Amino acid sequence: MNRYFLYLVLINMFINAIIFVPSILIKYSFNGAVASVILSIPYGILMTYLYSKALTKFPEQGLPEILADSKHKLLSNLHMGFIQLAYFTAGLITLLGFLDILSRFVNPEEPRLFLLIIYLAAIFLVIGMPTERIMYFVEIILFFSVPFLGFIVFKAYTGEELSWDSILEVTTYTFEWPNLKAFAAATYVFSGYVNLIIFNRVIKGKLKIWNYLFVLFVGIFNLFTTFMIPIGYHGADGAKEYLFPWISTADSLRLVYSPIERVIFLFLMLYMGITLVSVSVHWHAALELLKGTFGKKATEKKKWLVIAAFIIISIFSVYQINTIRLNKITEYWMIVRLVVETIFVVSFYIWARRKTT
Amino acid sequence: MPTMKVESIRKNLLSKIEAPAADLIAKEVRTKDKYMEILYISTISDEAIIHDKLLTPFFEMDNQQDFLTFLQSHPKSTPFKDEQKAVEDLLKGFVIIFYQNDIFTFDSKVNLAKDTSGTVVETTVQGPQSGFTENLHTNVGLIREKYPVPDLTIEQHSVGTLSKTDVMLLYDRRFADPDTVEEMRDFLKSVHIQMFQSGEQLLDSITKHNRSFFPTMLVTERPDRASVNLSTGKLIILVNGSPFAVIAPTVMKDFMSSMEDIYQTYWVGRFLQMLRYIGFNISVVLPGLYVATTAYNPEVFRVQLALSIAGSRTAVPYPAFIEVLIMLFMMELLTEASIRLPKAIGPTATTVGGLILGQAATEAGLVSNIMVIIVSFVAITNFVVPINTFSFTIRVLKYLIWALGTVFGLVGVVLGFLMINAYMVKLDSFGVPYLTLLQSKPKN
Repeated sequence: MNRYFLYLVLINMFINAIIFVPSILIKYSFNGAVASVILSIPYGILMTYLYSKALTKFPEQGLPEILADSKHKLLSNLHMGFIQLAYFTAGLITLLGFLDILSRFVNPEEPRLFLLIIYLAAIFLVIGMPTERIMYFVEIILFFSVPFLGFIVFKAYTGEELSWDSILEVTTYTFEWPNLKAFAAATYVFSGYVNLIIFNRVIKGKLKIWNYLFVLFVGIFNLFTTFMIPIGYHGADGAKEYLFPWISTADSLRLVYSPIERVIFLFLMLYMGITLVSVSVHWHAALELLKGTFGKKATEKKKWLVIAAFIIISIFSVYQINTIRLNKITEYWMIVRLVVETIFVVSFYIWARRKTT
Repeated sequence: MPTMKVESIRKNLLSKIEAPAADLIAKEVRTKDKYMEILYISTISDEAIIHDKLLTPFFEMDNQQDFLTFLQSHPKSTPFKDEQKAVEDLLKGFVIIFYQNDIFTFDSKVNLAKDTSGTVVETTVQGPQSGFTENLHTNVGLIREKYPVPDLTIEQHSVGTLSKTDVMLLYDRRFADPDTVEEMRDFLKSVHIQMFQSGEQLLDSITKHNRSFFPTMLVTERPDRASVNLSTGKLIILVNGSPFAVIAPTVMKDFMSSMEDIYQTYWVGRFLQMLRYIGFNISVVLPGLYVATTAYNPEVFRVQLALSIAGSRTAVPYPAFIEVLIMLFMMELLTEASIRLPKAIGPTATTVGGLILGQAATEAGLVSNIMVIIVSFVAITNFVVPINTFSFTIRVLKYLIWALGTVFGLVGVVLGFLMINAYMVKLDSFGVPYLTLLQSKPKN
């Protein structure tokens, strides 16, 4: 039973369904986004397969344990240092993106710094826990959220305002040449598996075929929902007008009989939890990798120094980065991530094969 | 002299019950020309019966044969059948007598029910109504009576630098995790209390020990709860002079369960349990949510509801968070007062406080109508939690959410709730994660 693997993939899909991926995809919807999305599915599954296959050679070990007996200390430290940075920034842009959403839709008058403080407090409570406990926490959050999210998606699909014609209009652009930025964004949906770098510690046994099938089908469904539902609600051109297409889509839904009439609040309250675990998972991985870099020299004091660095960078970026800048940075970040991830996964696969044969 | 056969049976029986069982008594009794060995469990046998009906005749009869005839013809004694039966009888409070070549079991059951009093704190509608007593001996007997298993281990410890209070540690050897037992022994040794008088002090001590916000040991007055917990591999601590037993390791599930769940039908039990979890969440979140939705995001609710909340608040001259604080504070005082008051005056205080003050405060425009509803809702949902220590924790927790809701609005409430969750995930009780839902028994 590898439900923990599925949780990691699911959180990543959930979080990307609202923040950056829909706006990037919709931006290029006439310029090859559809083809990119279709191409990203085999790519995502292949990467998931390669990486988890390579990791089966190291059961219940994270990257620091795998590289612990490496002879090339400098190389492995450099390697881990680079990945840490990737993880930290991944968590950071998710956090900044969601804070942006919160300050736009929930607390417009509150300084973003306040929102950041409460988030950081929660995140640091979570990331200090042992890896296994974090998975328990993720499980609890998903247990609470998934039924409601499922209900909201169900409402979205069955809403009368959903125009399938707009969706069909976009699909006529299927044979446009794929776009790199859209491809990078679409593949990011699948990259929850990369968290195995640390969370492989709690995964028991091998991944079965149905794990990949689950990733495949949920991935397709998730991409379709992310990309097409906002277009269905706001029109192929209208959807481009929004900064956060999916949030605005949730705001177009209405629960007629519920005391909370506007779906957006239910939606955002659920996403507060999902964002928390998503950022925590990324930053926990970064923290653990950092501990691995220090090796035996890792002390409580160094851990607090790292956490202090996390805090300072977050505060600095919350002041410096506004929505437009964040969106631009994220587009390029996605491309860098795509390249780095591909190189990392493929080289790791080859290295693991050579090491064991 | 007893024959080899009798001797080997005696050894087998002893090895089956086996020490450490602090209340098992094996005694040789001899006169000039007679010799007898008796074996019994002191906590569930009536020692007066043993003395009057067994020992007195033994010493009064000079002839060996006479005493044998006495044993054979006594209505309370039965000849030995097999070891299995003998062990069962022993655990029911029989004395096993090895006399010459014969073995007898002699009924000396004690009637513990006359010593017990009814439950006061953890009441149920159905099921047993008797609670522990202040006598350690009787309490061990009560558990023995409900849990007649040869694997029940009873260890004696003493805690308290001045009081040297007797403490019994009980567990089922088959189910209890050896690491947990070891950890508990260390813990009992490490407790530094001068006057140790009640199990609750342990609770206090362990909370200082790991600074946890939630109780990680359960204090109960019900022997049936103690014995059910023994069968799931938990440890029971009985303290001399206290009518409460301490159960550890306990997780949230144990605090949320009442003995009633077992005595009710399946679906009713499940329903009640679900009710408690919902009550727990409402009680923690509601005050904070009220502040967040009235002061920050009234648009969360549908228009009619938002308007009626705002309408009822028109007369209130201060912000929502102060209103909530005033009412919560009043409610805490009421609860506290009605606990401490004598039973005869208690209801008066609740009536005066709850009905009259609530009504008057609304009419005077100090608080809104909806606030009064919310406060009573919070209080009632708090009382749904069956274990008192846990419901006291909730009483404190809701102020945390209230504070976060006041400063950060809706985000604060949701994240505060999640932080409490994360904290519970982090916490463990003697090595068992606090939110464990299904407790697995260690397999040998």
